[in-house]
Amino acid sequence: MSTSTAAATRPATGGRRPGGLAWLAVPALVFFVGFAVIPLIGVLALSFTSWDGIGGEILFAGFSSWQAVLSDPGLPHALWVTFLVMALSWAVQTPASILLGVFLAGAQRYRAVLAVVYFIPLLLSSAAIAIAYKALLDPNFGLGAGLGIDLLVQDWLGVPELAFGVVIFVVSWQFIPFHSLIYQAGVRQIPRSMYEAAELDGAGRVRRFFSITLPQLKYTIITSSTLMVVGSLTFFDLIFVLTAGGPGDATRVLALDMYKRGWQANLMGPASAIAVILVLVGLTLALVLRRIGGRDAAHSQQEGV
Amino acid sequence: MEPRTPSRRTFLSLALGVPVGAALASCGTAGPAPSGGGASGGAKAAGATYWYLSTQPQEGIRTGSVERFNKANPNTPITGTTFQNDAYKTKIKTALGAGQAPTVIWGWGGGTLRSYVQAGQVDDLTPWFDQNPAVKDRLFPSSFGAATIDGKIYAMPAEAVQPIVLFYNKKVFDQIGAAPPQSWDDIMALVPKFNKAGIAPFSLGGQSRWTNMMWLEFLFDRVGGPEVFQAVFDAQKDAWSNPDSIKALTMVQDLIKADGFIKGFSSITADSNADQALLYTGKAAMMLHGTWTYGSMSLDGGDFVSGGHLGYMNFPPVTGGKGDPSNTVGNPGQYLSIYSKATPEQKETAKKFFATAVLSDEEVKQWIDTGSVPIVKGTESALAAAKDPEWLQFQYGIASNAKAFGQSWDQALSPTAAETLLDNIAQLFQLSITPEQFASNMNAVIGK
Amino acid sequence: MATTLTREQAEAGGGRRRAARRAGVVGGHRNWPAGLAGWLWLAIVIIPIYWIVITSFKEQSGYYASNPLAPPAEPTLHNYQLVIEAGFIGYFVNSLIVTLGAVIPAVLASFMAAYAIVRNGTGRFLRLVNGLFLMGLAIPLQATIIPVYLIIIRLHLYDSLLGMILPSIAFAIPLSVLVLTNFIRDVPKELFESMRMDGATEWAILWRLAFPLTRPAVVTVSIYNALTIWNGFLLPLILTQSPDKRTLPLALWAFQGQYSVNVPAVLASVVLTTLPILVLYAVGRRQLLSGLTAGFSR
Repeated sequence: MSTSTAAATRPATGGRRPGGLAWLAVPALVFFVGFAVIPLIGVLALSFTSWDGIGGEILFAGFSSWQAVLSDPGLPHALWVTFLVMALSWAVQTPASILLGVFLAGAQRYRAVLAVVYFIPLLLSSAAIAIAYKALLDPNFGLGAGLGIDLLVQDWLGVPELAFGVVIFVVSWQFIPFHSLIYQAGVRQIPRSMYEAAELDGAGRVRRFFSITLPQLKYTIITSSTLMVVGSLTFFDLIFVLTAGGPGDATRVLALDMYKRGWQANLMGPASAIAVILVLVGLTLALVLRRIGGRDAAHSQQEGV
Repeated sequence: MEPRTPSRRTFLSLALGVPVGAALASCGTAGPAPSGGGASGGAKAAGATYWYLSTQPQEGIRTGSVERFNKANPNTPITGTTFQNDAYKTKIKTALGAGQAPTVIWGWGGGTLRSYVQAGQVDDLTPWFDQNPAVKDRLFPSSFGAATIDGKIYAMPAEAVQPIVLFYNKKVFDQIGAAPPQSWDDIMALVPKFNKAGIAPFSLGGQSRWTNMMWLEFLFDRVGGPEVFQAVFDAQKDAWSNPDSIKALTMVQDLIKADGFIKGFSSITADSNADQALLYTGKAAMMLHGTWTYGSMSLDGGDFVSGGHLGYMNFPPVTGGKGDPSNTVGNPGQYLSIYSKATPEQKETAKKFFATAVLSDEEVKQWIDTGSVPIVKGTESALAAAKDPEWLQFQYGIASNAKAFGQSWDQALSPTAAETLLDNIAQLFQLSITPEQFASNMNAVIGK
Repeated sequence: MATTLTREQAEAGGGRRRAARRAGVVGGHRNWPAGLAGWLWLAIVIIPIYWIVITSFKEQSGYYASNPLAPPAEPTLHNYQLVIEAGFIGYFVNSLIVTLGAVIPAVLASFMAAYAIVRNGTGRFLRLVNGLFLMGLAIPLQATIIPVYLIIIRLHLYDSLLGMILPSIAFAIPLSVLVLTNFIRDVPKELFESMRMDGATEWAILWRLAFPLTRPAVVTVSIYNALTIWNGFLLPLILTQSPDKRTLPLALWAFQGQYSVNVPAVLASVVLTTLPILVLYAVGRRQLLSGLTAGFSR
């Protein structure tokens, strides 16, 4: 990532005053180092300690936290749940967002009005959304019970598969609007001439979508996917309020696992080890996505797209 | 465990705190919000502070005692702050970790108190009780068990005994013409009858997890006696694999498989009292729960309690089981500890509060009025004269006749083991692990 | 997001983009799968919101008996009264202080850093700084909550609004720098040069040229950060304890724990906490939507 941006950076001053502006970056750097970089180092250090988090001493404990975490069957499970949330929420959101993005890109006025409505879920806090859905889906006091529609009267948050589905649905409900907006902008940047040419060649609508719209949206897809995938690692609030990781451990993602170990089981060492794993997962994902994006970028440049 | 040193700066705290501290020292002083200015900032506020749970009607009684104390001691007031159960359990930990816990720490004793003691966070009250025998002698001796860690008393027992009992809705029993269960077999026979009538046999706030645990506590006791859990508590190897333990775990899964609990129980939280609402609205026939729910059912349930529709009994015996049918489980009391980092003045205020306001005559009366048996000796006549003598004497009978009064497991065990326990209980109730897997998962954290 | 910063996109100036929008419109005529999705999605968004709003005006006693989708026969403000009495005005003020207190310094610091990176990005120090921020984008910053908690305690900022503000600033910086960098880069460098010729200092160019020219981006970044911080949950959960330091999402959580049987009251609290943002949205909708599209689609 850093290199691609650096490469795109033009030295606007023509290199006349090298380093003369560096101090402007200092305030941001101080905040970032103080509350992001040092904590990152700190979390790594803490993963080699034992600490109860309630005022006991922080003692060096070697690899014992790592041993405990890595041998715990809860870890592969949490990793799996995290991965599933990521993959499924991506798989649901992406096609829906593209479709909605194409729809919103239309010039009709009512579509602009719809866009305004679509955006409302993004304004709500995850806590508010989780609380509202919890009430809505309550099998005894919720919407389904009130309407008397048996199909809606499910133990939505009590059956592992359903609870998982609810999490994915609520995530999509919250974030699809945002991603459709990104796609809308992407679609609007596609030159109309490409469609006109294709229409002259007799390409149908479906064909035009797959041979023009989708390929042209490549960068938009990568942007939106990166946001989705990295964002999915941070669904702590939503899941914490909606299911608390339950039923059982069906929706216990890494971030929740970290919280539970740290502040419920008084095991800050292992909780820090989980946090380190969370950081590594994030970095790996970003690198992988960059690899995909980077190669494509080089490719398209060679082809002169 | 380890003696607490006054300066507890380790290499890590230095590494983490100092560079940022230096960099932001100016921000810290010039910022818009001065730190620790809140009423609950333990070490800084002038008066003492006290945190407790917000469920009614208990909240009102706790607040009432604080107010009476403040009226009598206007110069050394106590500031009370209420929290809802789940939030309290997180906040008290972040507050202890931050060195800003309240002067008076409310709790359930047992393993959690032990973890506070090990972290050097609460004061040893043994000398104080030795100097004030009158305070100690008027309380139930059994209430001191969960306050005593390694022979020293670290908390003042308070409030009321809270055994777990089996509540039932008499209206729905009449509706299907059934009698309350006298044995486990009766329970299993009632389940299909209620389900057929479209009524859930048992209400359960399963998302809170400790609600599920109450079932295991009773079944372990009724099947194998209190010795089974005692072996876990004493950290005997593989104590969870005891055949009686496996049998009890299997029985609860049988009940779940037979649809014994309300649909959706794992998404219902007990904090919200939704489980109680299910019982008093007749959506469920029975509920195993703490006696503290009686008060809220009286408040919220319309004429459910006042109209005599609420039935209650001790958990029925299991045929062929070893546990005495008089045994009970639950909270032998609530516990008030004194934060070790509070100022001497705050500690004095807290002790005065313990001696003069906690379980004062007015408070005792309020507990009785709301249907609880306070842990004070000699209240038999007051109980008989109260507006709900039958319920109070039932509780008193359970508490005083029990051959064994088991403390709630999640409170008896350390927070680490308790968290694993609650996790595994949730999975056991999801039927996603077998009794044997449960036992082996739990054996792994014995003694931790 | 950083992955998309290809040369091609970086060089696509604002003018070119606007021209492309006017020219390229798809789905202009009857694109029925997209149209169907559009109306379906409207239903999916609207029904829960409609239910939340109407239920918040129902009496608790009538709630279970009534048709959940029918508007209340006798609308009541009782639930809202209950919520306000639970201290939500104070929580609102706290949220406001934390949000403004974090967004303003975060955006100003990010803007200065972004300016330096654009104007002098080849210097080793700034390249390092830029790389650091970009790395920050990939890291779920919640993972640092345990050490952040420790640091805040050591700074004696635990249970203070400032204690929530400082980490919020840090968490907001990477994305703000990225978006602002892209926009400042769009400013034709001739403008910078001519101002330099007139003898302006970099500090003056920064505030008198770059800042006004990229105002839409600044607004976008501010709104985006404000939303994130306003809705934040983990920091207040871990870093505060007193009820008088609660922010809205945390207060909401505590409120629903206590009143969850009273569904209308809980939903009233949801509506009430969202209302301020909805008002803002109604006022600054155009700016937000167009800003977000421009900010993230490049």
